[in-house]
Amino acid sequence: MKKRTKSVLVSYLVSGPSLLLIALIVVFPIAYTFFISLTNMSVYHWFDFTVIGLDNYWRALFVFDSGFLSALLATVLWTAVNMLIQLAAAFLLASALNIKKLRLRKLYKTLLMFPWAMPGYVSILLWKTGVFNSEFGLLNQWMEALGREAVRWLSTDVSAFICCTVVNLWLALPFMIMIMDGALQSIDSSYFESAILDGAGWLKRTRYITIPSIKPIIAPAVIITVFTTFKQFDVVYLLTQQMGARTGSNFHTILTYAYENAFVTNNYGYSSAISIIIFALMLVFSIRFRLGGEGET
Amino acid sequence: MKKLLSLLMAAMLLLSLAACGGQETDAGSIVIWHDKEDAVAEVLQNYLSEALPEYTITLEKKTSLTDSLKLVGNDPAGAPDMFIFAHDKIGLFAEMGILAPIEELLSEGELENYLPMTTEAATYKGTVYQLPLYFETLLFMYNSKYMTPEMVPETTEELYAYMEANTGRDRFGFVEQHSTAYYSAAWIHGFGGEIISADGTPFPDAQAVKDALEYHLKFVQLMPGETEYSTVNTLFLEGKADSTIGGPWMVPSAREAGIELGIAPMPVVDATGEPLAPYSGVQGVHVLTHAAESKGEAVRAVLEALTAPEVGVELALASGCAPARAECYDDEAVANDELVQSMRTTAEIAIPMPNLPEMDVMWTVMSNLLTDVNLSGRGVDESFDEAMAEAENLIANMK
Repeated sequence: MKKRTKSVLVSYLVSGPSLLLIALIVVFPIAYTFFISLTNMSVYHWFDFTVIGLDNYWRALFVFDSGFLSALLATVLWTAVNMLIQLAAAFLLASALNIKKLRLRKLYKTLLMFPWAMPGYVSILLWKTGVFNSEFGLLNQWMEALGREAVRWLSTDVSAFICCTVVNLWLALPFMIMIMDGALQSIDSSYFESAILDGAGWLKRTRYITIPSIKPIIAPAVIITVFTTFKQFDVVYLLTQQMGARTGSNFHTILTYAYENAFVTNNYGYSSAISIIIFALMLVFSIRFRLGGEGET
Repeated sequence: MKKLLSLLMAAMLLLSLAACGGQETDAGSIVIWHDKEDAVAEVLQNYLSEALPEYTITLEKKTSLTDSLKLVGNDPAGAPDMFIFAHDKIGLFAEMGILAPIEELLSEGELENYLPMTTEAATYKGTVYQLPLYFETLLFMYNSKYMTPEMVPETTEELYAYMEANTGRDRFGFVEQHSTAYYSAAWIHGFGGEIISADGTPFPDAQAVKDALEYHLKFVQLMPGETEYSTVNTLFLEGKADSTIGGPWMVPSAREAGIELGIAPMPVVDATGEPLAPYSGVQGVHVLTHAAESKGEAVRAVLEALTAPEVGVELALASGCAPARAECYDDEAVANDELVQSMRTTAEIAIPMPNLPEMDVMWTVMSNLLTDVNLSGRGVDESFDEAMAEAENLIANMK
């Protein structure tokens, strides 16, 4: 018994530094946000804020109106579409990278990693002015060359959604390709050799060998990406909603919606309450998602 | 066990955080945040280093200055000692309690030497919180290669006629950031409306705002869809737009690009007989409360140095800004500078941006309203009602 206590203590001691780091960068901000959400901290009570209980949560419920619901639906659609295309595209590209006798493999890999190396803010704004801008953008230069009218690509909900998806894919694919590539390389080639001997084609090999083998490896990456896509802010905000550079589309994710309806008020208590509610929503999603994931594998 | 450990960890965390707070301050060094053009920052940095060699004064450029101040404004370890910014955030920061009243830090009566418009802009609830340096307003600029001085429109209808005649593929008679609140304010003022009244009521004259939006729409249709700064700026600098409404910050790049730049008075709205009246922004130095308490001497020295008329003159000549100190205009070079003089003339009709904290959310409300009307093609009445509701809701939620 004593020995067991000792070993438990040692294991805590060993993992202590990393637990401390997690506490510092993950747990503390959430706990602090929760504390702020119970206070009346705002421009008018910056230092002298007091705990006011759950009032902010009561008021926050008014933000979750029809606008919030449609933003939530749009966010779910956005996550689903992005994940589907991302998985399919990453799988195809990673498979192509693993073709035997492929020349210049390293060059392709480096090129495919490139979007990852660039700061997201810069690449989003480059896409906005370089590609989608109605006066100078690449797309409209092509339209002009084809003798067509210039189009305002980011002005309607649907076209803005598509443009945001393209940019998000460009930003997110490198990560997925890298994980898929690693997963594909980890499959023992003898499986494929015997499958080929048995006369299985590419489709069958993919369905019965490749996909089941890479599934457990890519699952964590998929979960991470689902969440980063779900709480996407930069792409949507910078492309279409940035103050002084709005484009006319009304496509909002829950975060851009909450930003515009709460965070601009500088009422930190109220905004924190909204953050905590969104956090709880995501927690519910994540628990559901994890249970489903574990059941499958 | 787990609980005990996590409690222990939380305690350690708090201790380490508390340790971060007790940093010593160096009374001889002053950090000033700003978000200004390099030309302005250079003049100020050189002047201050020369005038006050006994202090170490550092100007640091911060792109999201106001957001950073909201986060660290009350923390001496992270906050600057002073910052240079436009006057429109004074109410916000004063309510937060991070701004020190400036009058007590200056010698008596010093502010009487400033143009009244600038000190009024720097006053919130009867207290002055900013030492004004210079002010800027939007100006009507034209490329005289295409729009000769005699073609410059005097009224908005003349402007519209010019736009109709000169807008086509890859070419615009006139461009402006038509869906940005700061720019659209000129049109709203031209119709006698306001974005927010002095007592914090949003859109006090609803009809005037609606009329302005409705009338402005036909101009928007002859301008590009994208309205952010870079598009409008590039169109004018590449000679694809004959005229624009822009700030003095456009002047150096226009001259560099070889544009034959002309500056004219704002056109008059035919329906009201009033000129388009843009907002003016008074740029100046603010002192943070903690610096006023712990570094009083150094802060006073910097402020005193900045009251010297040479600073205003140098700034005016380097970047075309209009000095806030009245006697700067006695300088011959300043008096002969066309840009500075036109800014001073426009300043007579310009309206200082409101410095109420409520204005902070009105920028968002106004920007949504303009997007709905100008870019999404929704009706003015419907969009206005929505904006009004949003304004009231956001203002209520500030408290």
